[in-house]
Amino acid sequence: MRAVGELHRPDRLWPVLLASLAAHAALVSLGVLRGSGPPIDLGQKPIVAKLVRLGEQRPEHWLPRRDVPPPEAPPAPARVAAAPTPVPLAVPSPKPSPKAPPPRAPAPPGHGNDALSRAISKVRRDQALARETWGDPTGSPEGTATDASEGDRYLALVSEALQANYRLPATISDQERMSLRATVVLTIEPDGRVSSLRFERRSGNDAFDQALERAVHQTRMPPPPPELQQRYRTVGLGVNFHI
Amino acid sequence: MNRLLASLLLCLPAAAAAQRQYIDLGSPDFRPLALAVPPFQTGADAQAEANETAQTLRDDLALTTVFELLDPRSFLADPREGFAASAIRFSRWADVGAEGLVKAIVRREGSLLTGELHLYEVRAGREVLYRIYKEKTPRALAHRIADDVVQYYTREPGIFRTRIAVVRRGKGIREIVAFDADGKASEVLYRDAAILLLPHWRPDGGEILFTSYRGGKPEIWALRVSDGSTRLVVGIGELSSGAVYSPDGRRIAFTASVDGNSDIYVINADGSGLRRLTTDPATDASPTWSPDGRRIAFVSNRSGHPHIYVMNADGTEQRRLTFQGNYNQTPRWSPRGDLIAFTARDERKVFDVFVVSPETGKISRVTQDQGMTNEEPSWAPNGRLLVFASDRTGRPQLVVSNPTGDRQHVVTSESAPIGSPAWGPLPQ
Repeated sequence: MRAVGELHRPDRLWPVLLASLAAHAALVSLGVLRGSGPPIDLGQKPIVAKLVRLGEQRPEHWLPRRDVPPPEAPPAPARVAAAPTPVPLAVPSPKPSPKAPPPRAPAPPGHGNDALSRAISKVRRDQALARETWGDPTGSPEGTATDASEGDRYLALVSEALQANYRLPATISDQERMSLRATVVLTIEPDGRVSSLRFERRSGNDAFDQALERAVHQTRMPPPPPELQQRYRTVGLGVNFHI
Repeated sequence: MNRLLASLLLCLPAAAAAQRQYIDLGSPDFRPLALAVPPFQTGADAQAEANETAQTLRDDLALTTVFELLDPRSFLADPREGFAASAIRFSRWADVGAEGLVKAIVRREGSLLTGELHLYEVRAGREVLYRIYKEKTPRALAHRIADDVVQYYTREPGIFRTRIAVVRRGKGIREIVAFDADGKASEVLYRDAAILLLPHWRPDGGEILFTSYRGGKPEIWALRVSDGSTRLVVGIGELSSGAVYSPDGRRIAFTASVDGNSDIYVINADGSGLRRLTTDPATDASPTWSPDGRRIAFVSNRSGHPHIYVMNADGTEQRRLTFQGNYNQTPRWSPRGDLIAFTARDERKVFDVFVVSPETGKISRVTQDQGMTNEEPSWAPNGRLLVFASDRTGRPQLVVSNPTGDRQHVVTSESAPIGSPAWGPLPQ
């Protein structure tokens, strides 16, 4: 109940509120109907961007160095020496005078065997050893990569999960690697469990087909979104494996 | 108001069409295939031979770099289970991670050993290979089994009946010695007081070319493997060295220095038809043939530093291949044709083994921080393995490696210096 004399002001809140709600609803509807974002090409690999380390660029004319050094080689197993079979010494021809070995390219200047050259070589070597890390002048202080390399793009969650377990035996020959293909159909339960796997097309190579089965069984699939659960449980999802 | 709000409820999109979706998956990781090789069964009189056969087989398969040999101490299966697939509890083998299972029986029959191979696919639960062999020694038996296991999985021949020739230096003596591919069972093929270098096998394995100073200057000689006899092949100019047979065995490329200019020459295998391929005043040396015999890679310092070059087999279209490093030597073209292995000195003045693509020129490193010198690579005839000399243990020894360098094995433990390994061909 209003007090006497209070100004009567028309209530404009409800129209404004309604207009705001309508605008929000329209925007949300527009977003849902148009899809959740740019279409994702599931056939493309994920892109992982690496930050190039801040530092001096490694000279291009130097031989490459590995980021991960080779693992240590196990020593030769012990062996029992067999009794040597006598081999006659070759009949000597006219006694050869010692000659230099087959020609090698002349050593570049400053790389001789004198004391000064050895000292210079040692200094260069120590400098090279001290300068372990290379990067790029435009890199980041937090970067870890030696050089810029191609990136990967994010795949759908299923591709990513399978990819992590997609491992094949190294025994598959190079020739077969060019041509091996297989297609499996998975039925995926709402909780992400793969309830069945069947081959729509086998590769003809048992090792390859078994590796695909192993990859699927080792993968924890993400649960499908509610609107797709029925489809993946009945129609299933196909996966084309290739090398 | 509630009714108004309710009327503004969102319209959710309709369900997608019921057609099946497909995703593509490529670029797998390749990893060694896990094999279980339990102790071999045997009669009472062949226990030691059975043990040696099994261990040699495990070492061979590990050397291929495409298998991972599981530790027999981890096996859960009953060692008395039989050979019939129905009698084998494959789940026990799967539990230890085995993908393949190799079982065998070794028996002595007079002067020979009989080996019975059974190979199983663990996941499929079935036997996939059965062979019987007769050999004189456990090592020979193991090498044949290894070759057949490799053949089954890779569809390519195994290399365990091949040999690696090396030059070994003694006191006033030089020898050409042949090792088995696993670095054992060496046999002296030739011995001389004169300096000898750079052995290279004929494609049929019947001869080894080598460079010798026995005639007073470096010349190309050939050693007949069967009886140890030698013959002079060619010697022109001030020196001739580094001879290599073409893949068809019909031609020989070599280095010769004539009038002070070192160049690449080719002759027919019978010594006729001498042809000069390079004429640059710089030093051109160390030829190696492509597997199709149409191209030759070699070393030249025409740019001011030794680099790898490639040309047609007739000497035309010479082009530089390597542009990194300043001391690249000893190229060897893979039998697969995809890579050329070579020795190079890096910025730290260390010699390491590298590979370069003959098509793109991209260089990858095989050895790194593994001794001061890794050099003179040679390819196995299947192109999947390299052997080279390395001083990482203190003395030069042979190292067998895959082309990426990720799996390397020191295979010899010689006290005398060895070098210049040359991997021989598959048995004919």
